[in-house]
Amino acid sequence: MKPRHRRLAWIAAGLAVLGVAVALVLNAFQSNLVFFFSPTDVAEQKAPQGRTFRIGGLVEEKSVRRDGIVVHFNVTDTAKTIPVSYQGILPDLFKEGKGVVAQGKLGPDGVFVASEVLAKHDENYMPPEAAAAVSKAHIEAAEKNAAKTLVR
Amino acid sequence: MALNWYRFSSPATFYPLAGRLVPLFGWGAAVLAAVGLWLGFVVAPTDFQQGEVYRIIFIHVPSAWMSMFLYVVMAFWGALLLGFNTRLSGMMAQAIAPTGALMTFIALWSGALWGRPTWGTYWAWDARMTSELILLFLYFGIIALRQAIGDPRRADRACAVLALVGVVNIPIIYFSVKWWNTLHQGASVKLTGSSMETTMLAGMLVMSFAFWFYAIAVVLARVRTIVLERERGAAWVAELPEARSA
Amino acid sequence: MNHWHFILGAYGVTVLAMVVEILAARARRRAALEAARAGADAPVPGAQLSGTGGPG
Repeated sequence: MKPRHRRLAWIAAGLAVLGVAVALVLNAFQSNLVFFFSPTDVAEQKAPQGRTFRIGGLVEEKSVRRDGIVVHFNVTDTAKTIPVSYQGILPDLFKEGKGVVAQGKLGPDGVFVASEVLAKHDENYMPPEAAAAVSKAHIEAAEKNAAKTLVR
Repeated sequence: MALNWYRFSSPATFYPLAGRLVPLFGWGAAVLAAVGLWLGFVVAPTDFQQGEVYRIIFIHVPSAWMSMFLYVVMAFWGALLLGFNTRLSGMMAQAIAPTGALMTFIALWSGALWGRPTWGTYWAWDARMTSELILLFLYFGIIALRQAIGDPRRADRACAVLALVGVVNIPIIYFSVKWWNTLHQGASVKLTGSSMETTMLAGMLVMSFAFWFYAIAVVLARVRTIVLERERGAAWVAELPEARSA
Repeated sequence: MNHWHFILGAYGVTVLAMVVEILAARARRRAALEAARAGADAPVPGAQLSGTGGPG
Protein backbone atom coordinates (compact mmCIF):
# COMPACT_ATOMS: atom_id res chain seq x y z
CA MET A 1 0.00 0.00 0.00
CA LYS A 2 1.21 3.49 -0.84
CA PRO A 3 1.54 5.96 2.07
CA ARG A 4 -1.32 7.99 0.65
CA HIS A 5 -3.62 4.95 0.56
CA ARG A 6 -2.58 3.99 4.06
CA ARG A 7 -3.42 7.50 5.22
CA LEU A 8 -6.83 7.36 3.53
CA ALA A 9 -7.50 4.02 5.20
CA TRP A 10 -6.68 5.51 8.61
CA ILE A 11 -8.90 8.52 7.91
CA ALA A 12 -11.74 6.15 6.97
CA ALA A 13 -11.15 4.15 10.16
CA GLY A 14 -11.10 7.37 12.20
CA LEU A 15 -14.34 8.56 10.66
CA ALA A 16 -15.96 5.18 11.33
CA VAL A 17 -14.88 5.30 14.97
CA LEU A 18 -16.12 8.88 15.29
CA GLY A 19 -19.40 7.90 13.66
CA VAL A 20 -19.90 5.04 16.11
CA ALA A 21 -19.09 7.37 19.02
CA VAL A 22 -21.60 9.98 17.84
CA ALA A 23 -24.24 7.31 17.28
CA LEU A 24 -23.64 6.03 20.81
CA VAL A 25 -23.95 9.53 22.26
CA LEU A 26 -27.16 10.25 20.40
CA ASN A 27 -28.59 6.87 21.31
CA ALA A 28 -27.69 7.46 24.94
CA PHE A 29 -29.20 10.91 25.03
CA GLN A 30 -32.37 9.80 23.31
CA SER A 31 -33.42 6.91 25.45
CA ASN A 32 -30.86 5.85 27.98
CA LEU A 33 -30.10 8.84 30.14
CA VAL A 34 -33.25 7.73 31.89
CA PHE A 35 -32.29 4.11 32.34
CA PHE A 36 -35.39 3.41 34.39
CA PHE A 37 -38.50 5.11 35.71
CA SER A 38 -39.56 5.03 39.34
CA PRO A 39 -43.08 3.90 40.32
CA THR A 40 -43.83 7.57 41.07
CA ASP A 41 -42.82 8.51 37.50
CA VAL A 42 -45.17 5.82 36.20
CA ALA A 43 -48.02 7.04 38.42
CA GLU A 44 -47.44 10.56 37.09
CA GLN A 45 -47.54 9.18 33.53
CA LYS A 46 -43.94 10.24 32.87
CA ALA A 47 -43.07 6.78 31.57
CA PRO A 48 -43.61 6.03 27.86
CA GLN A 49 -47.10 4.71 27.14
CA GLY A 50 -47.68 1.50 25.25
CA ARG A 51 -44.03 0.60 24.67
CA THR A 52 -41.26 -1.19 26.48
CA PHE A 53 -39.50 0.67 29.27
CA ARG A 54 -37.73 -0.07 32.55
CA ILE A 55 -38.92 0.50 36.06
CA GLY A 56 -36.61 0.64 39.05
CA GLY A 57 -37.05 0.67 42.78
CA LEU A 58 -36.92 -1.68 45.73
CA VAL A 59 -38.52 -5.11 45.83
CA GLU A 60 -41.21 -4.61 48.46
CA GLU A 61 -40.77 -6.72 51.59
CA LYS A 62 -42.93 -9.88 51.68
CA SER A 63 -44.27 -9.21 48.17
CA VAL A 64 -42.43 -11.99 46.31
CA ARG A 65 -44.83 -14.78 45.41
CA ARG A 66 -44.18 -17.70 43.10
CA ASP A 67 -47.03 -18.97 40.95
CA GLY A 68 -45.64 -21.96 39.06
CA ILE A 69 -42.95 -20.54 36.80
CA VAL A 70 -44.23 -16.97 37.12
CA VAL A 71 -42.86 -14.74 39.86
CA HIS A 72 -44.94 -11.87 41.22
CA PHE A 73 -43.46 -9.03 43.25
CA ASN A 74 -44.02 -5.35 43.91
CA VAL A 75 -41.55 -2.59 43.00
CA THR A 76 -41.73 0.38 45.32
CA ASP A 77 -40.01 3.72 45.81
CA THR A 78 -41.77 3.95 49.22
CA ALA A 79 -44.22 6.52 47.76
CA LYS A 80 -45.82 4.42 45.00
CA THR A 81 -45.86 0.69 44.29
CA ILE A 82 -46.24 -1.23 41.05
CA PRO A 83 -47.03 -4.97 40.84
CA VAL A 84 -44.72 -6.89 38.50
CA SER A 85 -45.01 -10.35 36.99
CA TYR A 86 -41.99 -12.09 35.49
CA GLN A 87 -41.25 -15.45 33.95
CA GLY A 88 -37.58 -16.36 33.88
CA ILE A 89 -34.39 -16.63 35.88
CA LEU A 90 -33.88 -14.03 38.59
CA PRO A 91 -30.36 -12.71 39.29
CA ASP A 92 -28.64 -13.94 42.46
CA LEU A 93 -28.85 -10.55 44.11
CA PHE A 94 -32.61 -10.30 43.62
CA LYS A 95 -33.93 -9.98 47.17
CA GLU A 96 -36.79 -8.42 49.07
CA GLY A 97 -35.84 -4.95 50.25
CA LYS A 98 -33.07 -4.66 47.61
CA GLY A 99 -32.84 -2.65 44.41
CA VAL A 100 -34.25 -4.00 41.15
CA VAL A 101 -34.60 -2.82 37.54
CA ALA A 102 -37.20 -4.56 35.38
CA GLN A 103 -37.74 -4.14 31.65
CA GLY A 104 -41.17 -4.76 30.13
CA LYS A 105 -44.58 -3.32 29.40
CA LEU A 106 -47.30 -1.95 31.61
CA GLY A 107 -50.51 -3.87 31.03
CA PRO A 108 -53.98 -2.31 31.04
CA ASP A 109 -54.61 -3.94 34.42
CA GLY A 110 -51.72 -1.94 35.94
CA VAL A 111 -49.46 -4.98 36.20
CA PHE A 112 -45.97 -4.52 34.75
CA VAL A 113 -45.11 -7.61 32.69
CA ALA A 114 -41.32 -7.90 32.78
CA SER A 115 -39.20 -9.57 30.12
CA GLU A 116 -35.92 -8.99 31.96
CA VAL A 117 -35.16 -8.44 35.64
CA LEU A 118 -31.81 -7.05 36.81
CA ALA A 119 -30.60 -6.58 40.37
CA LYS A 120 -29.33 -3.14 41.31
CA HIS A 121 -27.05 -3.37 44.30
CA ASP A 122 -25.86 -0.45 46.41
CA GLU A 123 -22.33 0.85 46.90
CA ASN A 124 -21.86 -0.64 50.38
CA TYR A 125 -19.27 -3.38 50.85
CA MET A 126 -18.85 -5.13 54.20
CA PRO A 127 -18.58 -8.57 55.78
CA PRO A 128 -21.85 -10.43 56.59
CA GLU A 129 -21.47 -9.99 60.37
CA ALA A 130 -21.24 -6.22 60.02
CA ALA A 131 -24.17 -6.22 57.62
CA ALA A 132 -26.29 -8.20 60.09
CA ALA A 133 -25.51 -5.78 62.91
CA VAL A 134 -26.23 -2.77 60.73
CA SER A 135 -29.48 -4.12 59.37
CA LYS A 136 -30.71 -5.13 62.82
CA ALA A 137 -30.06 -1.67 64.19
CA HIS A 138 -31.31 0.44 61.32
CA ILE A 139 -33.44 -1.72 59.10
CA GLU A 140 -36.00 1.01 58.67
CA ALA A 141 -33.54 3.86 58.15
CA ALA A 142 -31.43 1.89 55.70
CA GLU A 143 -34.45 1.06 53.59
CA LYS A 144 -35.54 4.65 53.37
CA ASN A 145 -31.99 5.67 52.51
CA ALA A 146 -31.66 3.07 49.78
CA ALA A 147 -34.99 4.15 48.34
CA LYS A 148 -33.78 7.74 48.27
CA THR A 149 -30.59 6.70 46.47
CA LEU A 150 -32.59 4.78 43.92
CA VAL A 151 -35.25 7.34 43.27
CA ARG A 152 -33.42 10.62 43.71
CA MET B 1 16.79 27.63 43.84
CA ALA B 2 15.85 28.42 40.30
CA LEU B 3 15.06 25.19 38.56
CA ASN B 4 15.09 25.42 34.81
CA TRP B 5 11.95 23.52 33.84
CA TYR B 6 12.61 24.09 30.19
CA ARG B 7 15.69 21.94 30.55
CA PHE B 8 13.50 18.93 31.29
CA SER B 9 11.28 19.67 28.35
CA SER B 10 14.24 18.94 26.11
CA PRO B 11 14.10 15.35 24.83
CA ALA B 12 17.86 14.96 25.22
CA THR B 13 17.64 15.65 28.97
CA PHE B 14 14.37 13.82 29.44
CA TYR B 15 15.46 10.60 27.75
CA PRO B 16 18.05 9.45 30.34
CA LEU B 17 15.93 10.74 33.25
CA ALA B 18 12.92 8.69 32.08
CA GLY B 19 15.26 5.73 31.62
CA ARG B 20 16.14 5.81 35.32
CA LEU B 21 12.47 6.20 36.37
CA VAL B 22 11.01 3.32 34.31
CA PRO B 23 12.43 0.41 36.38
CA LEU B 24 11.71 2.33 39.60
CA PHE B 25 8.00 2.65 38.81
CA GLY B 26 7.84 -0.77 37.20
CA TRP B 27 9.11 -2.59 40.26
CA GLY B 28 7.08 -0.27 42.47
CA ALA B 29 3.97 -1.38 40.57
CA ALA B 30 4.87 -5.05 41.06
CA VAL B 31 5.39 -4.66 44.82
CA LEU B 32 2.20 -2.60 45.24
CA ALA B 33 0.20 -5.12 43.22
CA ALA B 34 1.50 -7.97 45.40
CA VAL B 35 0.49 -6.10 48.59
CA GLY B 36 -2.84 -5.04 47.08
CA LEU B 37 -3.74 -8.56 45.96
CA TRP B 38 -2.77 -9.96 49.36
CA LEU B 39 -5.04 -7.40 51.02
CA GLY B 40 -7.79 -8.04 48.48
CA PHE B 41 -7.79 -11.83 48.48
CA VAL B 42 -6.43 -12.82 51.89
CA VAL B 43 -7.21 -10.02 54.35
CA ALA B 44 -10.44 -8.53 53.00
CA PRO B 45 -13.59 -10.42 54.07
CA THR B 46 -16.34 -11.83 51.86
CA ASP B 47 -19.03 -9.27 51.02
CA PHE B 48 -22.44 -9.59 52.72
CA GLN B 49 -24.49 -9.51 49.53
CA GLN B 50 -22.15 -10.35 46.64
CA GLY B 51 -20.01 -13.07 48.17
CA GLU B 52 -16.56 -13.45 46.59
CA VAL B 53 -17.28 -11.92 43.21
CA TYR B 54 -17.00 -8.38 44.57
CA ARG B 55 -13.20 -8.97 44.57
CA ILE B 56 -13.25 -7.85 40.92
CA ILE B 57 -13.46 -4.35 42.46
CA PHE B 58 -9.70 -4.46 43.10
CA ILE B 59 -9.02 -4.13 39.37
CA HIS B 60 -12.29 -2.63 38.19
CA VAL B 61 -12.23 0.60 40.18
CA PRO B 62 -8.46 1.30 39.80
CA SER B 63 -8.60 0.75 36.03
CA ALA B 64 -11.73 2.90 35.70
CA TRP B 65 -10.10 5.68 37.73
CA MET B 66 -6.93 5.42 35.63
CA SER B 67 -8.91 5.48 32.36
CA MET B 68 -10.38 8.86 33.32
CA PHE B 69 -7.23 10.22 34.98
CA LEU B 70 -4.96 9.35 32.06
CA TYR B 71 -7.37 11.06 29.70
CA VAL B 72 -7.23 14.26 31.74
CA VAL B 73 -3.40 14.09 31.86
CA MET B 74 -3.30 13.50 28.09
CA ALA B 75 -5.56 16.52 27.52
CA PHE B 76 -3.37 18.55 29.91
CA TRP B 77 -0.26 17.78 27.84
CA GLY B 78 -2.29 18.63 24.74
CA ALA B 79 -3.17 22.02 26.24
CA LEU B 80 0.50 22.63 27.12
CA LEU B 81 1.47 21.79 23.56
CA LEU B 82 -1.08 24.17 22.07
CA GLY B 83 -0.20 26.91 24.57
CA PHE B 84 3.59 26.74 24.74
CA ASN B 85 4.47 24.55 21.76
CA THR B 86 6.78 22.41 23.90
CA ARG B 87 7.94 19.47 21.86
CA LEU B 88 7.88 16.93 24.67
CA SER B 89 4.19 17.63 25.45
CA GLY B 90 3.03 16.12 22.19
CA MET B 91 5.17 13.05 22.79
CA MET B 92 3.74 12.64 26.30
CA ALA B 93 0.18 12.87 24.97
CA GLN B 94 1.03 10.37 22.24
CA ALA B 95 2.52 7.96 24.78
CA ILE B 96 -0.49 8.10 27.11
CA ALA B 97 -3.23 7.26 24.57
CA PRO B 98 -2.58 3.47 24.23
CA THR B 99 -2.32 2.95 27.99
CA GLY B 100 -5.49 5.00 28.50
CA ALA B 101 -7.30 2.84 25.98
CA LEU B 102 -6.01 -0.29 27.73
CA MET B 103 -7.24 0.93 31.13
CA THR B 104 -10.66 1.73 29.63
CA PHE B 105 -10.83 -1.73 28.10
CA ILE B 106 -9.90 -3.37 31.44
CA ALA B 107 -12.56 -1.31 33.24
CA LEU B 108 -15.23 -2.33 30.72
CA TRP B 109 -14.17 -5.98 30.63
CA SER B 110 -13.94 -6.44 34.39
CA GLY B 111 -17.21 -4.55 34.75
CA ALA B 112 -18.97 -6.91 32.35
CA LEU B 113 -17.70 -9.97 34.22
CA TRP B 114 -18.80 -8.38 37.48
CA GLY B 115 -22.20 -7.32 36.15
CA ARG B 116 -23.24 -10.78 34.95
CA PRO B 117 -23.19 -12.54 38.34
CA THR B 118 -24.50 -9.55 40.32
CA TRP B 119 -26.94 -7.56 38.16
CA GLY B 120 -27.77 -10.44 35.86
CA THR B 121 -26.33 -8.92 32.67
CA TYR B 122 -22.91 -8.32 31.08
CA TRP B 123 -23.96 -5.01 29.62
CA ALA B 124 -26.66 -2.39 29.88
CA TRP B 125 -26.93 0.88 28.00
CA ASP B 126 -27.01 2.99 31.12
CA ALA B 127 -25.31 6.40 31.31
CA ARG B 128 -22.21 5.19 33.22
CA MET B 129 -21.39 2.31 30.90
CA THR B 130 -22.27 4.15 27.69
CA SER B 131 -20.07 7.14 28.59
CA GLU B 132 -17.16 4.83 29.51
CA LEU B 133 -17.56 3.09 26.14
CA ILE B 134 -17.47 6.52 24.47
CA LEU B 135 -14.17 7.13 26.32
CA LEU B 136 -12.74 3.99 24.69
CA PHE B 137 -13.82 5.28 21.27
CA LEU B 138 -12.27 8.68 22.05
CA TYR B 139 -8.93 6.99 22.74
CA PHE B 140 -9.29 4.94 19.53
CA GLY B 141 -10.20 8.09 17.61
CA ILE B 142 -7.12 9.94 18.90
CA ILE B 143 -4.82 7.03 18.03
CA ALA B 144 -6.37 6.74 14.54
CA LEU B 145 -6.12 10.48 13.96
CA ARG B 146 -2.37 10.39 14.66
CA GLN B 147 -1.90 7.52 12.23
CA ALA B 148 -3.91 9.37 9.60
CA ILE B 149 -1.72 12.48 9.80
CA GLY B 150 1.81 11.54 8.79
CA ASP B 151 3.64 14.59 10.13
CA PRO B 152 4.19 14.21 13.92
CA ARG B 153 4.02 17.93 14.73
CA ARG B 154 0.70 18.38 12.91
CA ALA B 155 -0.62 15.15 14.44
CA ASP B 156 0.31 16.48 17.91
CA ARG B 157 -1.84 19.57 17.40
CA ALA B 158 -4.83 17.75 15.89
CA CYS B 159 -4.80 15.11 18.65
CA ALA B 160 -4.50 17.82 21.30
CA VAL B 161 -7.61 19.56 19.98
CA LEU B 162 -9.58 16.30 19.83
CA ALA B 163 -8.41 15.34 23.34
CA LEU B 164 -9.46 18.72 24.73
CA VAL B 165 -12.90 18.50 23.11
CA GLY B 166 -13.35 15.01 24.57
CA VAL B 167 -12.65 16.19 28.11
CA VAL B 168 -16.38 17.00 28.50
CA ASN B 169 -16.96 13.26 28.66
CA ILE B 170 -14.95 12.87 31.89
CA PRO B 171 -17.36 14.65 34.29
CA ILE B 172 -20.21 12.92 32.45
CA ILE B 173 -18.67 9.52 33.29
CA TYR B 174 -17.93 10.47 36.87
CA PHE B 175 -21.25 12.09 37.76
CA SER B 176 -23.49 9.91 35.56
CA VAL B 177 -24.50 7.78 38.54
CA LYS B 178 -25.55 10.96 40.34
CA TRP B 179 -27.23 12.85 37.53
CA TRP B 180 -29.30 10.04 36.05
CA ASN B 181 -30.97 6.79 36.98
CA THR B 182 -28.40 4.12 36.23
CA LEU B 183 -28.03 0.42 36.81
CA HIS B 184 -24.50 1.12 38.03
CA GLN B 185 -24.38 1.92 41.74
CA GLY B 186 -23.10 5.20 43.15
CA ALA B 187 -19.54 5.90 44.23
CA SER B 188 -18.26 3.94 47.23
CA VAL B 189 -15.41 6.35 47.80
CA LYS B 190 -16.15 10.04 48.05
CA LEU B 191 -14.35 13.02 49.53
CA THR B 192 -16.67 12.78 52.50
CA GLY B 193 -15.82 9.16 53.28
CA SER B 194 -16.35 5.66 52.01
CA SER B 195 -19.01 3.00 52.32
CA MET B 196 -16.53 0.10 52.31
CA GLU B 197 -15.09 -1.97 55.09
CA THR B 198 -11.55 -0.76 55.95
CA THR B 199 -9.46 -3.67 54.62
CA MET B 200 -11.52 -3.78 51.39
CA LEU B 201 -10.90 -0.07 50.94
CA ALA B 202 -7.18 -0.46 51.74
CA GLY B 203 -6.84 -3.22 49.12
CA MET B 204 -8.56 -1.09 46.52
CA LEU B 205 -6.41 1.98 47.23
CA VAL B 206 -3.15 0.00 47.16
CA MET B 207 -4.22 -1.56 43.85
CA SER B 208 -4.98 1.94 42.57
CA PHE B 209 -1.40 2.96 43.34
CA ALA B 210 -0.16 -0.20 41.62
CA PHE B 211 -2.12 0.73 38.47
CA TRP B 212 -0.80 4.26 38.76
CA PHE B 213 2.83 3.09 38.93
CA TYR B 214 2.27 0.64 36.09
CA ALA B 215 0.84 3.39 33.89
CA ILE B 216 3.72 5.77 34.71
CA ALA B 217 6.32 3.08 33.92
CA VAL B 218 4.72 2.07 30.60
CA VAL B 219 4.08 5.65 29.49
CA LEU B 220 7.63 6.78 30.32
CA ALA B 221 9.06 3.77 28.47
CA ARG B 222 6.89 4.62 25.48
CA VAL B 223 7.92 8.30 25.57
CA ARG B 224 11.54 7.19 25.35
CA THR B 225 10.75 5.16 22.25
CA ILE B 226 8.85 8.07 20.72
CA VAL B 227 11.81 10.37 21.42
CA LEU B 228 14.07 7.90 19.61
CA GLU B 229 11.64 7.67 16.69
CA ARG B 230 11.32 11.41 16.29
CA GLU B 231 14.91 12.46 17.04
CA ARG B 232 16.48 9.76 14.95
CA GLY B 233 19.45 11.28 13.23
CA ALA B 234 20.05 13.87 15.96
CA ALA B 235 23.62 14.05 17.21
CA TRP B 236 22.76 13.13 20.83
CA VAL B 237 20.84 10.02 19.72
CA ALA B 238 23.83 8.83 17.69
CA GLU B 239 25.96 9.18 20.84
CA LEU B 240 23.68 6.98 22.97
CA PRO B 241 25.47 3.74 23.85
CA GLU B 242 22.36 1.66 23.02
CA ALA B 243 22.01 3.34 19.61
CA ARG B 244 25.64 2.97 18.56
CA SER B 245 26.10 0.41 15.83
CA ALA B 246 28.03 -2.60 17.03
CA MET C 1 -22.59 -17.75 45.30
CA ASN C 2 -18.87 -17.90 44.61
CA HIS C 3 -18.26 -16.97 41.01
CA TRP C 4 -14.56 -17.67 40.86
CA HIS C 5 -14.59 -18.14 37.08
CA PHE C 6 -15.77 -14.54 36.67
CA ILE C 7 -12.98 -13.34 38.97
CA LEU C 8 -10.45 -15.45 37.05
CA GLY C 9 -11.72 -14.09 33.73
CA ALA C 10 -11.41 -10.48 34.91
CA TYR C 11 -7.93 -10.86 36.42
CA GLY C 12 -6.63 -13.16 33.68
CA VAL C 13 -7.55 -10.84 30.84
CA THR C 14 -6.16 -7.85 32.77
CA VAL C 15 -2.76 -9.54 33.22
CA LEU C 16 -2.80 -10.73 29.60
CA ALA C 17 -3.58 -7.22 28.32
CA MET C 18 -0.75 -5.74 30.37
CA VAL C 19 1.72 -8.37 29.18
CA VAL C 20 0.72 -7.68 25.57
CA GLU C 21 1.17 -3.94 26.14
CA ILE C 22 4.64 -4.42 27.66
CA LEU C 23 5.75 -6.75 24.85
CA ALA C 24 4.43 -4.32 22.22
CA ALA C 25 6.27 -1.42 23.88
CA ARG C 26 9.49 -3.46 23.96
CA ALA C 27 9.17 -4.46 20.30
CA ARG C 28 8.59 -0.84 19.35
CA ARG C 29 11.66 0.26 21.31
CA ARG C 30 13.80 -2.38 19.60
CA ALA C 31 12.58 -1.18 16.21
CA ALA C 32 13.31 2.46 17.14
CA LEU C 33 16.83 1.58 18.31
CA GLU C 34 17.40 -0.36 15.11
CA ALA C 35 16.34 2.66 13.09
CA ALA C 36 18.51 4.95 15.23
CA ARG C 37 21.52 2.70 14.58
CA ALA C 38 20.83 2.82 10.86
CA GLY C 39 20.39 6.58 11.18
CA ALA C 40 23.78 6.91 12.85
CA ASP C 41 25.42 5.49 9.74
CA ALA C 42 23.31 7.43 7.27
CA PRO C 43 21.52 10.38 8.86
CA VAL C 44 17.90 10.81 7.83
CA PRO C 45 17.46 13.96 5.78
CA GLY C 46 15.24 16.54 7.46
CA ALA C 47 15.52 15.05 10.95
CA GLN C 48 15.42 17.55 13.77
CA LEU C 49 18.92 18.13 14.96
CA SER C 50 17.98 20.10 18.06
CA GLY C 51 19.18 17.87 20.81
CA THR C 52 20.29 20.08 23.63
CA GLY C 53 18.24 22.48 25.72
CA GLY C 54 15.71 25.11 24.82
CA PRO C 55 11.94 24.95 24.53
CA GLY C 56 10.13 23.68 21.47
